[in-house]
Amino acid sequence: MKKRLYIELENCIGCRSCLAACTQCGGHEERNRNYVYDVNPLVDRQTMPLMCLHCENPACARSCPAQAIQIHETGAVLSALVEKCIGCQNCTIACPYGIPKFDTEQNLMYKCDLCIDRTKDGIPPMCASVCPSNTLQWLTEEEIEQKEQQHKLDNDKWVASMPLEGRTEVKVNLPGILQGTEKLF
Amino acid sequence: MQKDKFFREIENVRHPNEKLVKTHCSYCGMQCGMNLRVNTSTNKIIGVEPRYDWPVTVGKMCPKGVTAYQQTNHEDRILRPLIRDDASLKGTKEGFREASWEEAYDLIARRFKELQTDYGKDSLSVFSGVSMTNEKCYLTGKFARVALGTRYIDYNGRFCMSSAAGGFLRTFGVDRGSTLPWTDVHETDCLFIAGSNTAECHPTSMFRVWAVQERGGYIIVVDPRETPIARRADLHLDLKPGTDLALANGILNLLIENGYTDESFISSHTNGFEETKALVSQFTLAYTSEITGVSQEKIKRAAEIYGKAPNAIVMFARGIEQQHKGVDNVSAYTNMALVTGKIGRPKSGVATFTGQGNGQGGREHGQKSDLLPGYRKITNPEHVQEVCDVWGITPEEMPNPGVSAYEMFELMKEKTIRGLYLLCSNPAVSAPNLNFVREALENLDFMVCADFYLSESAEYADVILPSVTWSEDEGTVTNLEGRIIKINKAQEPIGESKPDWKMQVELAEKLGKGKYFSHLKTAKDVAEEFRLASKGGYADYYGATWDKIDKQDGVFWPCKDEADKGTPHMFLDKKFYHPDGKAKICALPYRPPAEEPCKDYPLRLTTGRVVYHYLSGNQTRRIKFLRDMCPDPYVEVHPRTAEKYQIEHEELIKLFTRRGKADFKVKITEAIREDTVFVPYHFGHEKSINLLTIQALDPISKMPEFKACAARIEKIEREKVR
Repeated sequence: MKKRLYIELENCIGCRSCLAACTQCGGHEERNRNYVYDVNPLVDRQTMPLMCLHCENPACARSCPAQAIQIHETGAVLSALVEKCIGCQNCTIACPYGIPKFDTEQNLMYKCDLCIDRTKDGIPPMCASVCPSNTLQWLTEEEIEQKEQQHKLDNDKWVASMPLEGRTEVKVNLPGILQGTEKLF
Repeated sequence: MQKDKFFREIENVRHPNEKLVKTHCSYCGMQCGMNLRVNTSTNKIIGVEPRYDWPVTVGKMCPKGVTAYQQTNHEDRILRPLIRDDASLKGTKEGFREASWEEAYDLIARRFKELQTDYGKDSLSVFSGVSMTNEKCYLTGKFARVALGTRYIDYNGRFCMSSAAGGFLRTFGVDRGSTLPWTDVHETDCLFIAGSNTAECHPTSMFRVWAVQERGGYIIVVDPRETPIARRADLHLDLKPGTDLALANGILNLLIENGYTDESFISSHTNGFEETKALVSQFTLAYTSEITGVSQEKIKRAAEIYGKAPNAIVMFARGIEQQHKGVDNVSAYTNMALVTGKIGRPKSGVATFTGQGNGQGGREHGQKSDLLPGYRKITNPEHVQEVCDVWGITPEEMPNPGVSAYEMFELMKEKTIRGLYLLCSNPAVSAPNLNFVREALENLDFMVCADFYLSESAEYADVILPSVTWSEDEGTVTNLEGRIIKINKAQEPIGESKPDWKMQVELAEKLGKGKYFSHLKTAKDVAEEFRLASKGGYADYYGATWDKIDKQDGVFWPCKDEADKGTPHMFLDKKFYHPDGKAKICALPYRPPAEEPCKDYPLRLTTGRVVYHYLSGNQTRRIKFLRDMCPDPYVEVHPRTAEKYQIEHEELIKLFTRRGKADFKVKITEAIREDTVFVPYHFGHEKSINLLTIQALDPISKMPEFKACAARIEKIEREKVR
């Protein structure tokens, strides 16, 4: 059963456990590959993770002159192949979300591979495994469908991804998930 | 057992040449399940893998938990005993030399004996902690009373859970931190959370907390700061620090006035209602709002939501407990559950978020100055006899009750206490009024510190004994639910480090008390004796065998015998633990904080944790990821207050109280009251906010008032640029 990373931004508490856990994935060489931002630090404590959305037609891979960025059969957009990456950093500029990171010492791009070691066998990625607030979840299509029904926004748009890059493997739910919730009493 | 909607059957990743050792985190009371990854050729811990099948946390971990494994083989570990011959270097890291265990034990035994010969048995003291197993906590109490024969033993729970303990004992006659299992939390209809920065201090509760709102339930948060949980709460009661008692009384008054009471529950199962009703009637909306600074509308709405909720859980933490009326605050918020009858059934009850890993178990089994194993009282001759029977001593040999943690420092200062055996704690950072406490430590004739890192407190020691991390020993811990769980050993102790229980057995032998200790050769041996010692006490662990803990995913105490499965929900039979079986609704007059703002100190200072650090930071400040995220303390200031003092974001300022001063960088945020400033307490030396905090103690729990004192900001004038 196909599962996807699903992001519910409203839940984020800014603990950055996802970043700590990212370093624990076998293939990640103890470097984290995603981001958590303080949205408006002088005002409140809102935070949000910025994860690779694993675009179906990823700008990072399209921009790579060396075909170093492969797309796995599960749809995960992988980190640059060490033997192919020429260190041009096109991908870091092309990605509309600024996801790929660059190691200047190794002259190598690295990015989220959705913990391919884990997700290829249906095991949740480290970030979604540990996320204490359920901001990051690993859900089936049916479960995501249910979420979609549950969290209808006022403007009737349940946004999965920005039109910029078309369809993405990862699904995102913007803040406002409680707007459609009916109170119990 | 208790597989709820969050539970998923997930296989763990197993890398070649690795094994997984299932255990729990070393840090807070959540005790998140985790698997430690161990390399099978080196037999060293190399990482962590989620423990998806742990029913409480289903694989989730906060950043402290994810990186906890990095403590074990950390380069800062103390590998051999250290002795410092030059006492003039006390208070620094300097002058320690490596020594053999033999030499260290001999020196300790000689100096302890000398002190006791010259100044009496009670010239020695033990200061302990509860970030260690029940077995270690139990043996530490026995070590103090039987091997050292001193009355002076107390522990860092006095800075953590003692107010919750005092409040629950008075109200229920029993002190179990939660009346229900955490798997109930997401199923309730209203969470009333006071003084808990849950998202930062107990992050893995948050998926259950948010789920309450997703179902249409309510979250009410009481906090001077708009914490991450307060930001999304349905209602945030942004009170002045130290005014909880007025708020709780005011809400109770509204619950009674508006008919949310459960008359039959009150009359059948409680005492003290009429008296309390009369007292809280003074707490009108206007009066409550005036004291607390919370708007009348919010107070009214909070009472309405809690009152209407079919099920509700009142939860609290150090915010309300670390006050000089912490015990009263606990009883006052618990009153809400009693008058509405929202207790003693699933999905409704009262819970405190236990701070330390074994904050619950560690306070039950005899590390407290007046307690013996099984929550027995050292002042009760029957209780003393029961414990003496297990220990093989006579009641005459049992020392008298001692004094509380902070009071021990007062006795060190005046030289009543001259020797200290410190373990599992770092009071040179975590105690209040640190200028005084650090002087008291320096004033000791002889001090031993057992720790796995050279903490700020170890800097005052004459001898440092290298203990092990949690992953190099086994035993049980009681989590914030009251669930006894098992910590498993993942690797052998590094260097010559030893578990605390082993040091105490060997030291006892050196002190000529081997016959009471020498039979304890393994952690399991200690566990067996400990179960027996708790038997018949109300915190009865006798039936909680390691086998049962493993099979049942933990055992909730009380658990009296082999057949007893334990007690996940307390008071289901509506029987409380006072002799008449009733709970006590408490009439509690309001008292302001010990120190109110004034002309010279116009601000309210409050302290707390950040998500990246644990307690005094002795462990977490050494972990790179956590240190990078929060390397230094800071002072949170509201922008309008900052404007008043002409200070800017990231500017270094001086913060003063009557007890001390320190420099902090300013962090401007609208998420705090204008009259309040906040500083996290995890930092040592000149960066400790506890240099400024007040030693005002709760009369019952002896908890210092960390959460409220009066402070002043001073701008540091820079030299004018020429």
